[in-house]
Amino acid sequence: MLIESTRFGTVEIRDDAVITFPDGLIGLPGTRYALIAQSENTAFYWLHSVEDPGIALPVTNPWLFFGDYEVKVPDEDAEKLSIEHPEQADIFCVVRAAEQLEDFTVNLRGPLVVHAALRRGRQIINDAADFGVRQPLFSEVALAQVRPAAPVAPVAATGI
Amino acid sequence: MLVITRRAGERICLGDDVTVTVLEISGQAVRLGIEAPSEIPVYRHEIWVAVKAENQAAASASITRLPTPTTSNE
Repeated sequence: MLIESTRFGTVEIRDDAVITFPDGLIGLPGTRYALIAQSENTAFYWLHSVEDPGIALPVTNPWLFFGDYEVKVPDEDAEKLSIEHPEQADIFCVVRAAEQLEDFTVNLRGPLVVHAALRRGRQIINDAADFGVRQPLFSEVALAQVRPAAPVAPVAATGI
Repeated sequence: MLVITRRAGERICLGDDVTVTVLEISGQAVRLGIEAPSEIPVYRHEIWVAVKAENQAAASASITRLPTPTTSNE
């Protein structure tokens, strides 16, 4: 299927890779998003709204940057996502991108939990520890040290 | 805005399905017990506001190229 993007023009995505967030993302409209990679070997993905051409959030796997990061998924959230085992889930954190690498921040407090096989997701509030909503991303790790890891969930489009 | 006084152990009902119980009052802090159906998300307000602000800021960044680790193929 084709989606329109104010950033990337018309993008062809795999229909079967669209992630549904039944309760949406906090403060944003719409419930259906596609995970899009700009290159094969990347630490960042765009979570692009299928419904709104202007909405796309950069996301990353937090463990690429914070090896000791922890997520506690509350039972009721896990139940809503039908997640019974941790390996069923992808965890993404929303990145606030900037012109300069040192100004990139990541929200470790409100991660996105995605059931990879069902492609159903939910933004949760992570109370595992006192993680910040605006943690500098490149303070502890240089970009060159980051080893990309593909998510469990299928990527809807690559190479935009 | 409705302003009411409650003591420890007393409750407030919000509609048919949501009950808030004042569990304990200790100095400046109040412990609340909230019973709500699972489809009603309950968040601490300041965290909800902060996450909402980050989502909106992330979604409106003018950046279109995200950085790619260049040494990971070595």
